[in-house]
Amino acid sequence: MTRPRQIVAFGGGGFSMEAGNPLLDDYVLGLAAAAGRDRPKVCFLPTASGDADHYVVRFYRHFPAGRCEPSHISLFRRDCGTDDIRSHLLDQDLIYVGGGSVICLMGVLRAHGLDVALREAWEAGVVLCGLSAGSLCWFAEAMTGYHGNSRPVQGIGLIPRSNAVHYDKEPHRRPAYHAAVAGGMPGGFAAEDGAALHFVGEELARVVSSRPESRAFRVDRVDDEVVETQLVTHYLGAETAEPALAA
Amino acid sequence: MGGGGFTMEPENPALDDYVRTLAPAREPRICLLPTAGGDSEDQIRRFHTAFSDKLCEPTHISLFRLGTHPVPLREHLLAQDIIYVGGGSMINLLALWRAHGLDEILREAWQSGIVLAGLSAGSMCWFEWGVTKSVGAPVPARGLGFLPGSNSVHYDGEPERRPVYLSSVASGAIPPGWAVDDSAGLLFRGARLAEVVASRPGARAYRVRAVDGETVEEVIEPRLLKAPAHADPTAPLAVEELRALHAARRGRRLD
Repeated sequence: MTRPRQIVAFGGGGFSMEAGNPLLDDYVLGLAAAAGRDRPKVCFLPTASGDADHYVVRFYRHFPAGRCEPSHISLFRRDCGTDDIRSHLLDQDLIYVGGGSVICLMGVLRAHGLDVALREAWEAGVVLCGLSAGSLCWFAEAMTGYHGNSRPVQGIGLIPRSNAVHYDKEPHRRPAYHAAVAGGMPGGFAAEDGAALHFVGEELARVVSSRPESRAFRVDRVDDEVVETQLVTHYLGAETAEPALAA
Repeated sequence: MGGGGFTMEPENPALDDYVRTLAPAREPRICLLPTAGGDSEDQIRRFHTAFSDKLCEPTHISLFRLGTHPVPLREHLLAQDIIYVGGGSMINLLALWRAHGLDEILREAWQSGIVLAGLSAGSMCWFEWGVTKSVGAPVPARGLGFLPGSNSVHYDGEPERRPVYLSSVASGAIPPGWAVDDSAGLLFRGARLAEVVASRPGARAYRVRAVDGETVEEVIEPRLLKAPAHADPTAPLAVEELRALHAARRGRRLD
């Protein structure tokens, strides 16, 4: 059976940003489990943080061996060949890309050929997810998180659209994103902290959130004007009380 | 440096002091680029610990944290007397520098007379080629090529690099160059080797070249640097006073 290609792109959230709120992480673990094993294999890529030790430790704390089969790949302390990394990634149910600098992330991923390996994993049905830089990297273009100086950067391009993250937190991001889309960047999706965009194939299937108030938007250029449309968001905390939603 | 300095020999400041004296300024501005180590907090902290009590003005740039701590890269780097590059992954170092345009800025810095220093990945990056372990087993990797030839580091400390270096030079895959032990350093003025120094006895450098398909390693005995036995050039200033001065400067110059 072929597994669908899936990406869950968090505007912010998960174990790195929402201590005590596991809703987004539980959601991606659920997708990974649904795709195969009871104890899904989850590989963390802390590249965008420079492989910060404390980040790796926090990952293992939140993805304990009881719930999944956790691993991580450090591209700063690599001890195995490219083929081994590629086959390890292809053997996963979920690849979780941490936050940090998207420019650094893309530079290092490309230097190690992981942009190609991650595309292969996606095509093979490994669920890809991440927050912040770990969201931006999946899109064709993305807005960097530069303080007061958000600018476009090229991602891996699995989703042929653009992306902006932390859309609520930093007020300069909205005008910068709108200006970039007005200037010719492909339209795309903006997500606030706590909101996550779930893509099946290249299409947005669902927006989920770990907080009732988190929002996500579609941002498009229509007749030389940038139009922002709020997307319907499903709050995961209330999901048990709701009927199942059609995708 | 084949290895050494504050990250590898925290008790022996001889190589770092040597680097510091290469800048003509009495109180040189020295900026750490910890890029190859993923801007590790540990490396940054150790740098500031090692240099904050010396007569200099230490800063660092974290490319991974530019989002929260923006620094005008070109402006800041070209205002330095010394740029000190930490060790780590040579492949990542070059990829990250290129992604931020630092390859061009550093060339400009070198051409304008700023002292460029570093250990391990931070040494090999200046040459045409190095021997890196950043993808697992040792393999040749291209550097920035400011200096002609090749460089292999930790020649005594990590002997697994040696056979790869020798065979790569023998086959002509990479040009001849210099192999350097931990605690030894090569000083280049322009593109010419001017001096070889070491912070401990026994540390050596080697000129490595191919002769009739065989590699020849020619020992270069370094000048042994004296570890300063409290002949500290900061003596006229009290350490506390110096710290206060640094703190005041940081407040004014950065952030």
